[in-house]
Amino acid sequence: MTAATSSDTSEHPLLSAREISWRPGERTVVGPLDLAVHRGEALAVVGPNGAGKTSLLRLLTGLLTPGTGELALEGRPFREFHRKELARRIAYVPQLRPIRVPLAVEDVVLLGRYPHLRPLQMAPEAADFRAVAEALAVVDIEDLRHRPVDELSGGERQAVYIAAALAQEAELLVLDEPTTHLDPRHQREIASLIPRLRRDAGRTVVFATHDLNFASLTATRVVALRAGRVLADACPGEMMTPEILEKLFDARFEIVRPGERPVTLLRLEP
Amino acid sequence: MASAARDRTTSRPGRTLVVLACLWLAVLVLAPLAGSTAVSPAEALEPGTTAATIVWQIRLPRVLLALLAGGALAVSGMGFQTLFRNSLAEPYTLGVAGGAALGAVLALHLTPHLVAGWLSSGAAPGSWEGLAGFGAVATASFAGALGATGLVVGLAVRRRGIETATLLLAGIAVSFSCSALILFIQYLSDSTQTFRMVRWMMGGLAVVGFREVLWLAPWVVAGAAVLLALRWDLNLLLTGEELAASRGVDLGRLRLAILGVTSLMVGAMVAVTGPIGFVGLMVPHMLRRWTGSDHLFLTPACLLGGGVFLALCDLAARTVMAPAELPVGVLTALLGGPFFLWLLLARRGDG
Repeated sequence: MTAATSSDTSEHPLLSAREISWRPGERTVVGPLDLAVHRGEALAVVGPNGAGKTSLLRLLTGLLTPGTGELALEGRPFREFHRKELARRIAYVPQLRPIRVPLAVEDVVLLGRYPHLRPLQMAPEAADFRAVAEALAVVDIEDLRHRPVDELSGGERQAVYIAAALAQEAELLVLDEPTTHLDPRHQREIASLIPRLRRDAGRTVVFATHDLNFASLTATRVVALRAGRVLADACPGEMMTPEILEKLFDARFEIVRPGERPVTLLRLEP
Repeated sequence: MASAARDRTTSRPGRTLVVLACLWLAVLVLAPLAGSTAVSPAEALEPGTTAATIVWQIRLPRVLLALLAGGALAVSGMGFQTLFRNSLAEPYTLGVAGGAALGAVLALHLTPHLVAGWLSSGAAPGSWEGLAGFGAVATASFAGALGATGLVVGLAVRRRGIETATLLLAGIAVSFSCSALILFIQYLSDSTQTFRMVRWMMGGLAVVGFREVLWLAPWVVAGAAVLLALRWDLNLLLTGEELAASRGVDLGRLRLAILGVTSLMVGAMVAVTGPIGFVGLMVPHMLRRWTGSDHLFLTPACLLGGGVFLALCDLAARTVMAPAELPVGVLTALLGGPFFLWLLLARRGDG
């Protein structure tokens, strides 16, 4: 990654949202809220169903345009970016859905290069193949490269889409529920991947999740979203308290600290 | 990594393309020699003979038209199947055939004594030249096809572009309205007119000359070229619209481009041949099994394979009942029904 280090860009957070809100119908789904994502962070967005997590991620990637407020990348408003230009800076991995994708792993990862292609360019170039190879190596799925995506397990497919986002060579990765529907082994693999993406690949990561322990173990910062508003914004150690979590989910939790990071346990009594 | 790129040209999709190109050329050379009476290559090359006239003036343009029309159907079927992410989509899904048929039926009703260039059976001589130098029927049909598509797109346009689900519903609505209007016009027409309307709607490649071929070729070649240039966009659509949009694809513009290109291609084709069914549904499916879904290979494969398929169907249509000819649209529909069932059952099987 070529992280921009000139003085004028380092003053700004990588991504900043100011007073943004999104209101597709009668109900305000997101905001108004402020949010800054700093370079090198792993920011988890947690909250109950319908809190607006996915909509917030879609706003942060530019897929949705906020009704009010403004988003900026290194201080430059989103609207000044061309679609592909923004896609070269921000990569999105939507929630895994059971759709049939009749392509090989390598082809899907290569599609991450789309924002780097010139208009009417038919064949990928050496730089594209290099980015694909690197992405497959980081996610550790080189042995799957010729397999059809449809034949893979859910965990493997999630890895393929993360690899495609890496091949996009964007400094900000936005992942929507990367561990949903995955078994514990694949959850662990994604959980170990996120710090690797930060440290080794120099990426900034924002992800939404329902798995509080996954957030606690992998995030450097957690934003709690409720009814579209930011209820709390803190490091995992401060966020994972019975008080905040009860306010967030209307459910009671117990917090244990087997190691450095807190682990949450849902209490089943009413 | 460059070797991976080189592998592709010698890969199975690459080999399939070479085989299809050879088949296409073989059909072009051999199909004009076959028919109700077979002609030897020597006879065909002897100038001035009846055999040579049949081969060069009647059968060759017909085979060329079949190659172009089949290619147009398969390429646009491929485009629709990718756009709607639905293997049951076909070129006529959005009512382009209904609009074309309505235009043709209207022209046949309003011009009872005029002959459309290609439809001469049983009608009085004396032809009326339409706007494009074609018969009134072909011109009205082309206008109807474009009108129907324009209406569907207009109905489906939302503030943020075209929504696929609305597009499908609008297509069904426009198709039904066209069918109803066609029935209404048929009810008002006499039996000769009605027979010609029904015959037109069967679709066929009979009585064409090079003029029809020259008219259709640019639409088909340009349409296939545009879809080939959209290779990456179409491949991205296979992974989902949201992912495509997040990589910088302008979905509204992409949908409009696919729709515009396929409608022009299919509208131009239907104006000449009438609606020939099921080729656009069947051929892309058959070809995906050999070339895979990468549109770099699939687009030219559909252009070649659709043409070969329709030319062979037409060859069968003009030989099985010789000297009588079966309209090729009837034959493809006969093949299409069972294929459709097989597709539904096969989908359930691997689901």
